[in-house]
Amino acid sequence: MSRIGVFVCHCGENISSTVDVEKVAQTAAGFDGVAYSVDYKYMCSDPGQSLIKQAIKDHNLTGVVVSACSPRMHEPTFRKACAEAGLNGYMCEMTNLREHCSWVHERTEETTEKAIDLVRMLVEKVKNDKPLEPIKVPIFKTALVIGGGIAGIQTSLDIANCGHKVILVEKEPSIGGHMSQLSETFPTLDCSQCILTPRMVEVAQHPNITLYTYSELESLEGYIGNFKAKIRKKAKSVDHSVCTGCGDCWTKCPSKKIPSEFNAGLDNRTAIYVPFPQAVPNKPVIDKDHCTYYQKGKCRLCEKNCKPGAIHFDLEDEIIEVEVGGIVVTTGFDVKGTDFFPEYGYGKYKDVITGLQFERLASASGPTLGEIKRPSDGKVPEKIVFIACAGSRDPAKGIDYCSKICCMYTAKHAMLYQHKVHTGKSYVFYMDIRAGGKNYEEFVRRAIEEDKVNYVRGRVSTVYEKNGKLIVKGADTLMNGQPVEIEADMVVLATAGVANCGSEELAQKLHVSYDRYKFFAEAHPKLKPVETNTAGIFLAGACQAPKDIPETVGMASGAAAKVAALFSQDELKREPLIAVVNRQMPPTFSSCVGCFLCETACPYRAIEREEIKDRAGNVIKTIAKVNDGLCQGCGTCVAFCRTKSIDIQGFTNEQMYSEVMALLND
Amino acid sequence: MVDVKKKAAELLSSEAVKVIIGYTEGTGGKPRAAFIQNVADVEKLIFNSQCVMNLAVYLTKAEIKKLGKPAIVAPVNVLRAIIQLAFEVQIQESDIVVLGITPDEKLVEFQSFAAIESYLEDFKMELDAKEKETLAKISGMSLEERWAYWTEELSECFKCYACRAACPMCYCHKCAVEQNKPQWIPVAAHQLGNMEWHIMRAMHLAGRCVNCDACHNACPKGINLNFLTKLMLADAQEQLGYTGPTLKEGNLLSTYNPNDQENFIK
Repeated sequence: MSRIGVFVCHCGENISSTVDVEKVAQTAAGFDGVAYSVDYKYMCSDPGQSLIKQAIKDHNLTGVVVSACSPRMHEPTFRKACAEAGLNGYMCEMTNLREHCSWVHERTEETTEKAIDLVRMLVEKVKNDKPLEPIKVPIFKTALVIGGGIAGIQTSLDIANCGHKVILVEKEPSIGGHMSQLSETFPTLDCSQCILTPRMVEVAQHPNITLYTYSELESLEGYIGNFKAKIRKKAKSVDHSVCTGCGDCWTKCPSKKIPSEFNAGLDNRTAIYVPFPQAVPNKPVIDKDHCTYYQKGKCRLCEKNCKPGAIHFDLEDEIIEVEVGGIVVTTGFDVKGTDFFPEYGYGKYKDVITGLQFERLASASGPTLGEIKRPSDGKVPEKIVFIACAGSRDPAKGIDYCSKICCMYTAKHAMLYQHKVHTGKSYVFYMDIRAGGKNYEEFVRRAIEEDKVNYVRGRVSTVYEKNGKLIVKGADTLMNGQPVEIEADMVVLATAGVANCGSEELAQKLHVSYDRYKFFAEAHPKLKPVETNTAGIFLAGACQAPKDIPETVGMASGAAAKVAALFSQDELKREPLIAVVNRQMPPTFSSCVGCFLCETACPYRAIEREEIKDRAGNVIKTIAKVNDGLCQGCGTCVAFCRTKSIDIQGFTNEQMYSEVMALLND
Repeated sequence: MVDVKKKAAELLSSEAVKVIIGYTEGTGGKPRAAFIQNVADVEKLIFNSQCVMNLAVYLTKAEIKKLGKPAIVAPVNVLRAIIQLAFEVQIQESDIVVLGITPDEKLVEFQSFAAIESYLEDFKMELDAKEKETLAKISGMSLEERWAYWTEELSECFKCYACRAACPMCYCHKCAVEQNKPQWIPVAAHQLGNMEWHIMRAMHLAGRCVNCDACHNACPKGINLNFLTKLMLADAQEQLGYTGPTLKEGNLLSTYNPNDQENFIK
């Protein structure tokens, strides 16, 4: 026989001003199975909670109905109070007299009647409550980091330094990402590689980090704490355990005309190559698409010249499976192509280049060893024009959003140019200067005031070649839209930062959401910026939206902290309010017939298949099984199940039915 | 029919199958289902336009499964049911042999369920003009008229559950109407009980019904209960471009397609 306690809260005057709380408590006292009923000013206060605890002991209560506010706020409070008094927390339920009644009605008889009905329903539900225990899920304390740019490097090092294992997967032959391509970094002008490469080496040498370069995520299964990831290790054609990185192979390789990705196409690389001298690992891979042997079946010069015998043309892709507890996605961004701006002449004129190409020109490790020389004839440009927002903030032709980093890197480019070419003149066409950030505005002012960069507020309409010069036509909107024409030697386009080309596919593999620009979506724009909507998967860096290095590093450490917090527990405790497939006596075993339409309906892929076997091991029946690590308790499967074989614990068919009947039979 | 019988005899004598599920002469000139286990009985197989019951219903019955691997004589209705049952993991390709039969009694052999699926592409599941006319009549009624129409139509029902027994998609071991903890659907054949049973039955067939009319043909009172499912089929065709069961495309009700119309949200 149930002994239910009903606790009606005044919520100050929030409830009691429109609901006759005393009458609710008195009426509830008369309900079948109610052993105790009382009203109190603030049930969530310490004395209020003590009242509940005392009543549980004094009246030997088997269930508790707290009639107060939204369970969203205080259900955990009251469940904890009940547990402290020795009653299973899930035997306590809340009815929402505030949002569902007092706040939305006037003070009338009917309002109080409605409050009584709400209590009546919950009393009937609590009678059918069953004690539940939190679900414990073990955590596999290894993190998977996807993408080895600065975000992936930072997050890997932070997690590894917390003492956890990290698997870092990078699709290119070396880690380093875009940051390794940059010359100097704003706003301090320190050399990008000088600050990055020590970190790259640290990653390679860290005992807690396993690095898989030239590898990609193949598939992902599982859930927070218990992911199973398949990683495709693309065939490198070089056995890195034997290779010494001496370089004999790539100096002999006859395919020398392949545009170098690292130098943004400004010079060439060979088919067997290390992307750049500071690469980690500093050992080559063979680019099969350009290798003479793979394409034509003849050559093998590198093999002949390899003294340790590290080259094996028959190596195949290898797929390995790893178990991880948390995942950080740090796949970065791409630079948008310039084909949608044909009037700027990119691709047509050799001396119209992108910002990333300028980085390589200005870099000491670049094709010109840091001298600013134009690609067409190697001359030092006397006049250079930078065009900001070449694609960004342009809903008509480019992308809607601001790429955020361009204002700053354009100022940096102009500044670097002025530092290297003292007699040169530089112009920046811009819409607005967005320099929010520590020392950023000062940096831009320095470019304008100290380095005499000419900032022109206006758009460029066209760039064309005339007598060996690039004619840049634009308008200066600060001079009443006066037309401006500059005879430049070189033009640099600040192209937009866009989502990585494979981001949509990766998001689908990971089951995380993405926005309309195909950047990965954070769980909450303000309060959960590094979490995704999938528990256990976090984001860092420009894969979420364009961002600069300081922001990326901050976010990477944030994501690492989230992973470390997850790994600080040995097992996860989850609310047991999840779906369960019934089990019955033989020969039925379960009313589930195994049609698995629930599997198609479940948004969390939580439905598994379970075989019921006899003693001899013969399968009698295959039925649905809910993975309690994945199930979020949404109830879609329950609504879908024709045989009513699935119930949500805490919201069973019986409980719902008794609530409805409490109203109808009143 | 000759080649069907020949194939059936072959299958039985080679012990490739243990039983042939087909049609045979019944009482009162009506065909009934036959479960032929001896080669000699193969001659009893018939096929004509009166063979309307959906034999696929037997594929999931424990009593029939006990007989051993079956071969099933399958006109288009049965083929559709086989595909839907396969999608719902109720039958496996290796469990049965399908003897497809055309309206002029020609044998069509299938090596796989996928072959059945592609064969069915020529038989899109569409409602005929007469059905559409009836549906338009029902849909054209006001809410009150429609309620009165169905109340009247279903008042004849005495819950013999022949419709359920005849339906190839009603294979649950324990029907929701028999769940009594709690008992959402009243057992009694009164107005509420009948209405709830038939609405539930129709909902459970939404996106699954193969439109074979076996339920209507089995009803001793001749109730037009198949028009409840036909109404839903018409919606599925109009709103979601549904043309019949497939092996892969997913369940109609639970699968979201970005091109799905959402004009039902008002």
